[in-house]
Amino acid sequence: MSTTIEIRNLNQYYGKKQALKDVSLTIETGMFGLLGRNGAGKTTLMKVLATLLPKSEGEVSVCGNNVERAQEVRRITGYLPQEFSMYPNMTVYEAMDYLGVLSGLGKEERKQRIPELLKRVNLQYDKRKRVKALSGGMKRRLGIAQAILHNPEVLIVDEPTAGLDPEERVRFRNLLCEIAEERIVILSTHIVGDIEATCEKIAVLDKGEIIYKGTVSELIQMAEGKVFQAEISKRELEELKKQYVVTSMLTLGNNVMVRFLAEEEPFKSAKPCEAGVEDAYMYLMQGRGGGNGCLDGCL
Amino acid sequence: MFGRLFIRECRQTARSLIYWLVVLVLIFDFTTQLGSTEIAEKPKKGQKEYGLKLSDDENLIMEATLGSLIEEYSRESYRTYPIGFYKNVTLNEKEDKRIGEIIKETTGISGREEAEKAVDDWYGAKREASGGEAAVMMTGVEIKPVKGLSYERFEKLMDEVDDILGGGSDYAESERGAAVPMTYEDAVEEYRELTEKDRLTGGYARLFSDYMVLFLGILPVFLAVTRSLRDRRAGMQELIYTRKGSSAVIITSRYFAILTMVVIPVLALSLIPLSQCLKYSSAAGISVDMLAYVKYIFGWLLPTIMIVTAVGMFFTELTDTALAVLVQGAWWFVSVFTGARGIGGGVYGWNLIPRHNTAFNWKGYQEGFSQLVSNRIFYGSLAVILIAFTVFIYSQKRKGRYRLSWKGIGRLKKQI
Repeated sequence: MSTTIEIRNLNQYYGKKQALKDVSLTIETGMFGLLGRNGAGKTTLMKVLATLLPKSEGEVSVCGNNVERAQEVRRITGYLPQEFSMYPNMTVYEAMDYLGVLSGLGKEERKQRIPELLKRVNLQYDKRKRVKALSGGMKRRLGIAQAILHNPEVLIVDEPTAGLDPEERVRFRNLLCEIAEERIVILSTHIVGDIEATCEKIAVLDKGEIIYKGTVSELIQMAEGKVFQAEISKRELEELKKQYVVTSMLTLGNNVMVRFLAEEEPFKSAKPCEAGVEDAYMYLMQGRGGGNGCLDGCL
Repeated sequence: MFGRLFIRECRQTARSLIYWLVVLVLIFDFTTQLGSTEIAEKPKKGQKEYGLKLSDDENLIMEATLGSLIEEYSRESYRTYPIGFYKNVTLNEKEDKRIGEIIKETTGISGREEAEKAVDDWYGAKREASGGEAAVMMTGVEIKPVKGLSYERFEKLMDEVDDILGGGSDYAESERGAAVPMTYEDAVEEYRELTEKDRLTGGYARLFSDYMVLFLGILPVFLAVTRSLRDRRAGMQELIYTRKGSSAVIITSRYFAILTMVVIPVLALSLIPLSQCLKYSSAAGISVDMLAYVKYIFGWLLPTIMIVTAVGMFFTELTDTALAVLVQGAWWFVSVFTGARGIGGGVYGWNLIPRHNTAFNWKGYQEGFSQLVSNRIFYGSLAVILIAFTVFIYSQKRKGRYRLSWKGIGRLKKQI
């Protein structure tokens, strides 16, 4: 049986608006990052894979199952939506149990899997807590636990770290990496740091189109020799921003330490520096309406 | 999967505040309407009265119907229920004149003054018969028809009166009748039917069903709507949509859970009148039907609970709103008022809320039984069809193939 997700020439429309344009991807076991701005079409793609949206055109198969055979795909797929919650009056255990029944798990299987998973997401001591009493981070962890409850071959996670504090975010990323050892995990996000910390293979989506697919290191290579750093006065900053894409800034008294993108050495005091994923992403996005400015995580 | 899901759905229902409000309303309905019901005693000879019964004597029917017509004619005001709701009708000159002509032809009474005098004379005669004290009026005004008036001609003229009044009047074919005081023998026969044919519990189970069906014609819709909206409110729709469980299993487990959770308190409440019947029957030596309440709850009440719950789930899945409460509320309102005309039982028609507000009238129940069975099968089947549609809509929503666009409807309205 196939262990990959195959997407061929996928087009998706909402009325007259085209949300996905000729998307083709092959996703293999491990973490796969889907990066793009808000509104780039990431959630639409995730929903097609999770059988929540019917595809308009193209071919999509999940581990050999055509997405049109929804029940088959649901059997092997776990999904954590961008926004979700659970019945607030249910306890953590009851919510897991309810969703386990809906996934077709037997009594013994649920008895064994639920405590195991709650332990894995560090909620073993909160199983009697009502869902409404959980913090945002705990809810996200519970979300992951419910998504892998039926031991799916594919886990689809849409913007999972939005709204989490830094500590929870790191914990969450580590959890996803652990889970990805044995299955395909698709992480959709607009936060470059999440991709940098977890994924080797990625695709960048912009205005419904795949503008990059490959490894993170290949993406970084694209920006090698194009990233510079300079200490300039605050007065010079506005002029610099007009000419170059600034990826980060740090105020130092009356001066500013800026990191920016340029095709060749812009001025003498600018020193070339090693490119990061964020620089590479901004390099990729420049000229696509990405604008001059900072991504999340900008200093 | 169905059984496991069903149990969890029952638990969810039991935890909702709405459910306990529904139970409280049912208890309130029971205690206020049936709490003080006493089991009928065997009639004794020499009692002052034994109640009323409907007569099929054509002369008596003509007397009662014409009496009512003359009384309303003298008041210049007619009571009708055209679509089940009360409506007071006042006639124009031409219509009033025609009613006067019909009265003259059927009773010989000419003009309003003579009509008023006939009504006063009837009340006067009743007072005199009771020795000048305030008389207890067992029946309405009765006026004898003119000699030679055939029943066929009477029926034709009364149909015309009903047409003039816009339908739904006391002169319509289905409403013409005469209530006459029962004799001791009649009362004994009625009691015999209650204790032997209905085995006591049958009659009281019908009375119980009559009071319960009034509220069960609306209450389950609240449970159905809140259950269907709960997923969206809790932000749990997509978590459930992407599960392996089929739409049929998800919807039917919710449906049967609501039915079960509504039937349980009704069954529990029925134990109270059942125990009263048992207490009475052991003293009177009557052999009761122990399962009568269960039979009536499942045969009489369950189809109403089924269709009301199905309406709730169907419209909520269709619109993602609480529109079903309005739809069912309107249907309930019309059914209650329409049913009020057949409150004594025997006339069940196609009403969602069939009435039989007496432990007696076994004969009426027998006469209307096949209609009642058709009625109940119809609503039970309609409920099954609505649930099948609900499953279809739900499965389409899970695949992202159905979503009601209120913006689209708004645009359509503007274009219209």
